[in-house]
Amino acid sequence: MTTKTVTKPEQSEVAKKIEELRKLYADAPEVGRIALEHLMGSMKDGIITDTEKTSSAGRTGLRRGKVSELTIVFPIAPGGAKRLKAVLDSGFNVQAPDRVGSVHDMRYVFLDNDTRILFATTYDGEWDPYVDDFATHIPDELDVVFCNCEGWPGVRSPAVKDYIAKYQVTARAWYVAQPNLTVRDLKRLERIGPALDEFLDKIA
Amino acid sequence: MLSLSETLSTRSPALETSDIQATVLRPRPKPYCGEYVILRIGNAEQGREMLRRILPHVAPADEWWAPSLPGWLGIAFTFEGLKALGVPQASLDSFPIEFRQGMAARAAILNDLGANAPANWEFPFGTPEAHVALAIYARSKEDLQKVLDVARKSHKDLDQISVVYRMPFGELPDGRNPFGFKDGLHNPHVEGSGPAATGADTPVKAGEFVMGYADERGETANVPIPLELRRNGTFVAIRKFHMDVAAFRRYLQAEASSPEEEELIAAKMVGRWRSGAPLVLAPDRDDSALGADGSRNNDFSYADDMKGLKCPFSAHIRRVNPRDALKNDVVAVNLHHFLRRGTNYGPPLPEGVLEDDGAERGGVFLLIGAQLHRQFEFIQSQWVTDSNFIGHGTEQDPLIGNNEGDGVFTIPRTPVRRRLHGLPRFVSVRGGEYCFMPGLRALRWLAHLDGDDEHTGRQ
Repeated sequence: MTTKTVTKPEQSEVAKKIEELRKLYADAPEVGRIALEHLMGSMKDGIITDTEKTSSAGRTGLRRGKVSELTIVFPIAPGGAKRLKAVLDSGFNVQAPDRVGSVHDMRYVFLDNDTRILFATTYDGEWDPYVDDFATHIPDELDVVFCNCEGWPGVRSPAVKDYIAKYQVTARAWYVAQPNLTVRDLKRLERIGPALDEFLDKIA
Repeated sequence: MLSLSETLSTRSPALETSDIQATVLRPRPKPYCGEYVILRIGNAEQGREMLRRILPHVAPADEWWAPSLPGWLGIAFTFEGLKALGVPQASLDSFPIEFRQGMAARAAILNDLGANAPANWEFPFGTPEAHVALAIYARSKEDLQKVLDVARKSHKDLDQISVVYRMPFGELPDGRNPFGFKDGLHNPHVEGSGPAATGADTPVKAGEFVMGYADERGETANVPIPLELRRNGTFVAIRKFHMDVAAFRRYLQAEASSPEEEELIAAKMVGRWRSGAPLVLAPDRDDSALGADGSRNNDFSYADDMKGLKCPFSAHIRRVNPRDALKNDVVAVNLHHFLRRGTNYGPPLPEGVLEDDGAERGGVFLLIGAQLHRQFEFIQSQWVTDSNFIGHGTEQDPLIGNNEGDGVFTIPRTPVRRRLHGLPRFVSVRGGEYCFMPGLRALRWLAHLDGDDEHTGRQ
């Protein structure tokens, strides 16, 4: 953790947060209460260094550096769960994020006895400017999956952005290891790394 | 709202060039001079009176020179201007959010930072006082005065209409821009707007640039309401740029070891040589015959330059108009075009001068499209001020990006790429506004808002 001179207002902010935590944990399970006491020291530093790192990712989700999270919980339409499972299990849906080139990860999780589906993704930049591009290039990949969500208007519909916003849930807390490296940056570094190693070996 | 099947089967009516303003569809005259004037409307009734007087002189696209004028006049309104005219609230609320917020409020989206930040803009850009923008074009100074007289008479005796901005513009010698480059060579071809120049790219659906026609998504705009207001109208992003010619010359001199190399580096940054010859067709040296040939200087694609060895990925023209360079990506470039109507202003910096003389010089661009968000805003935020789309991290457009003396510019090359460092800001934004440029019938609708009830509120 970085050390940094703590200003007076920051100090009192930290003290307030710690005090609030202590109060809330007074009747937490004992294992947690003890853990909190152990962590007291390092927690102070953590609170300072994490301020200002997370921001809003535009209309939806949180952002750190260049990378944002998008978390959506869709209601599943009647009969949709079986279809969803089949199409996801078929595996072909991995190609679309590869082609988009800005998706770090993506997951689909069934909840509440297959009545809801959690869709969560980590992506670079913004998705809002690209929705029209997705509707042009990968409309079927999106519609074949999301048609199983109750009320999905189709990716080409002007109502699709509002539909997504309706079921989107902004994460309360979020971490990403490399906030300043996009998928393209990572792919480039993956190519350059070995080449650089080889070069260093040769000149050593 | 039309269903999917309805939108796909919409037939595109022929372009009503008698109702679309000339500024939207026609290139500037040659030679050209003119003025931009911004007015503030202090009283809705007077604003509409001014509009009634100026209406007969607004040039339609099928008759560039209105019979009453030896020049042409274009008119557009900011959101504040429409409010000041007394446009009904339901209509105001129906405008796209980016237009309602205004360009200055969207600086974070546009990455208008540092010197480009709205706090540094000239008055009245970015303030609620900019209401009506007039673009006045003529071929000579004498003709310009006649057009200016007509414009002045439309509001001279109306004490609540004030001129809050005026700037003259004019062509530089040889029709070059202040950096010495032939400019204004390319615009998307609007389907139905007239014969295409030979060698032009595929026509783009008219609805991308004018409302009331099918766009590239097969959709026809259904906002703003009412139909009378929106039909044959469009949006304009006005951007006034200051060009630091001395800094550009100094940088080239510092990075090059010969005048020839200076020219090459300059061309690599722009994507064309000064003559206008595109790097893709003339990768090693300028070809002024090619540059001067309108049937050839735009007839190229990036299909044979997917490694950027001829024209760098980061070059200005490749960024703002990628053509087929992004064909392997999930991006629909046909959704991200705008029409660029630009004029230069200010005196040239004399040849060989390396120190700034303090003169105001640069270009004013009217970037025209029916969908500000996925046209101007998209290009500015995704392709000019960011480089993730070309795998170049946070590199900026070398000419108009946000470089603060720390800018990087990558020139692909074998065996090893060349990378220039320390790019300063060559171009700064002096001001900008989002405007709505209505059709001629819509202008009459606006001018008669107070009168005839039949005209208002009907969808």
